[in-house]
Amino acid sequence: MEQQLADLAAKVAALEQSGGMQGTIDIEVYYFWATALMVLIHAGFLGYEMGASRAKNVLASGIKNILAFAFIIPTFFFFGWWIYLAFPGGFIPAEGGDPGLPWAMAMGPNLSDNATGVFWAAFTMFAATTASVFSGAVIERIKMSGFVILAILLGSVLWILGAAWGWHPTGWLLTDWGFHDFGCAGIVHLIAGAFALGVLINLGPRIGKYNADGTANDIAPHNVPMVLIGLMLIIVGFFGFLAACVIMVKGGQWTNIYGQPMTLSAVGFNTLMGFGGGVIGAWALTRDPFWMMSGGLAGIITAAAGIDVWYPPLAFVVGFVGGATIKIVNDGVVKVLRLDDAVGAVSVHGWCGFLGVMVVGLFASGYANVGEAPPVSFMGQLVGALVCFALGFVPGFIVSYCLKVVRLLRVPDEAQMIGLDLAEVPLKAYPEGVNAAQGTLQPAE
Amino acid sequence: MGSPITKWEGAAEYFTYADRPIVLYIILGIAIAFTVLSIVKVGRHEKESYEKLK
Repeated sequence: MEQQLADLAAKVAALEQSGGMQGTIDIEVYYFWATALMVLIHAGFLGYEMGASRAKNVLASGIKNILAFAFIIPTFFFFGWWIYLAFPGGFIPAEGGDPGLPWAMAMGPNLSDNATGVFWAAFTMFAATTASVFSGAVIERIKMSGFVILAILLGSVLWILGAAWGWHPTGWLLTDWGFHDFGCAGIVHLIAGAFALGVLINLGPRIGKYNADGTANDIAPHNVPMVLIGLMLIIVGFFGFLAACVIMVKGGQWTNIYGQPMTLSAVGFNTLMGFGGGVIGAWALTRDPFWMMSGGLAGIITAAAGIDVWYPPLAFVVGFVGGATIKIVNDGVVKVLRLDDAVGAVSVHGWCGFLGVMVVGLFASGYANVGEAPPVSFMGQLVGALVCFALGFVPGFIVSYCLKVVRLLRVPDEAQMIGLDLAEVPLKAYPEGVNAAQGTLQPAE
Repeated sequence: MGSPITKWEGAAEYFTYADRPIVLYIILGIAIAFTVLSIVKVGRHEKESYEKLK
C-alpha cells in the first residue's frame, strides 16, 4: 500500500511538472507567433511607403523603411530592453534593469528562462512599428543617415522609455495617475506622431509641395493599389500586435500589462469593431480609398487604449470618429501648419493616438487598478497623453534641428529633382515600363 | 570551444561563451562597432552620391 501511494505521489509530481512545462511552452508559442504576425506590419509599411512615393523615389523609400527595421533590432538589444526594465520610475535607472543588460544571462538562449526572448522579440517589433510610423511622414527628402539616427532614437529609446513609464506594471504613470493604454495608442502612436511632427518642422517639404503663395499641391502616390494592400497588411499585423499586449497567465485569467484581468475575446470584439468604424467613418467623409484604408488604421488606434474594456459598439463609435477626423486634421497639418506629411502620420497616429487615450478618460473612468494604483480617470489620461506628446515632440524637434545644422537631415535639391533612386540606389525599380525621372508610364518596346 | 556546458543535465544559460564574460563583451563590442560603422557608411554613401550630381 505504501509503495502504491509513493508511486502515485511520484506520478502526480511528474504530471504537475509536465503541466507546468506545458504552460511555459504555451506562453513561448503564443508570443512567438504574435511576433511573427507583427512582421506583417513591416511588410505593410514597406508597401505603403513605396506606393506613396513617386516612381523616382520608390526604392529609396523601401531601403529607408527596411533599414529602420534592421537597425532597431540590434539597438533594441543593446539598450532598448534595459531602458524598459530600468526606468519605470522616471529618468533615474533602477536596479531592476540589470536582466536587460546585453550581457545578462537572460539575454540569450537559457533553459531556465523561456520568457525573456519572446517578450524581447515582441517589444522589438513594437519598437520597429514606432519607427515605421515616423518613417512614412518624411519620405522623398530625408537623408538616410539622419533618418537612421532618428529612427533609432524613436524606436530604441523614446517609445520604450514611454512604455517604462506608462505601459509597465510599476510605471509611474500607472502608479501615480492610473494611466490606462492597453493597445499603446499613446505609448506607440502618439509618441511616434508627435516625433514626426517635431522632425517635419525642421525637415521642410518636398520640392513642389507648396506654391509661392503658400497653397499646397497634391503629390500623388505612384501606386495607390500598393498603398491599399500595404495598409491592409498593417491591419493584419495589428492583430499580432494587440494579441501581444495581453499577458498570458499559466492556469489563470489572462491580464493586460497593468495586471487587470481581461480576455483575448475583448481584443477580438473591439479590434474588428474599431477597424470597421474607422473605415466607414473615413469613407463617409472623404470617398477616398487612401483615407478609407488609413481610416481602418485610425479606427483601431482610436479604440486601442480601451480595447480590453469597450462595449463593442462603443469601439465602433470611437473608431468611426477617429476615421472621420483624420483627413480634417491632416488638412490642418498640411494647409495651416504647412508641414508636408507625406502619408498623414501625424494625423492617423498622433491625433488618433491622443484621441484614443482621451476617450478612455471620457468613457472608461472608474475602472479599478490592481494594487495601490489609482483608478482610471480623465485627469490621469490627460497627463499620460501630454507626457506621450512631449516625449515624442521635444526630442524629435531638438535632434532633427541638430541634424539639420550638421547637414544630415535633408537631401540636396538636385537629388530630389532627379529622384533619390537615380541619385543613390544601384538598381532600377521599373527598368522597362516606367520613366523613373518623370514617374509616368512609357510604351513597352 | 564556444560551448559553456559539457552536459545538458542541469544546464541553464547555454548560449555560446555564456561562461566567459570577457568574450561576451568582445563580441558585443564588435556588434556595436558594426552597427555604428554601418551608419557612418550610410552617410558616406550619401555624400559621395550627392557629390556626383554637382
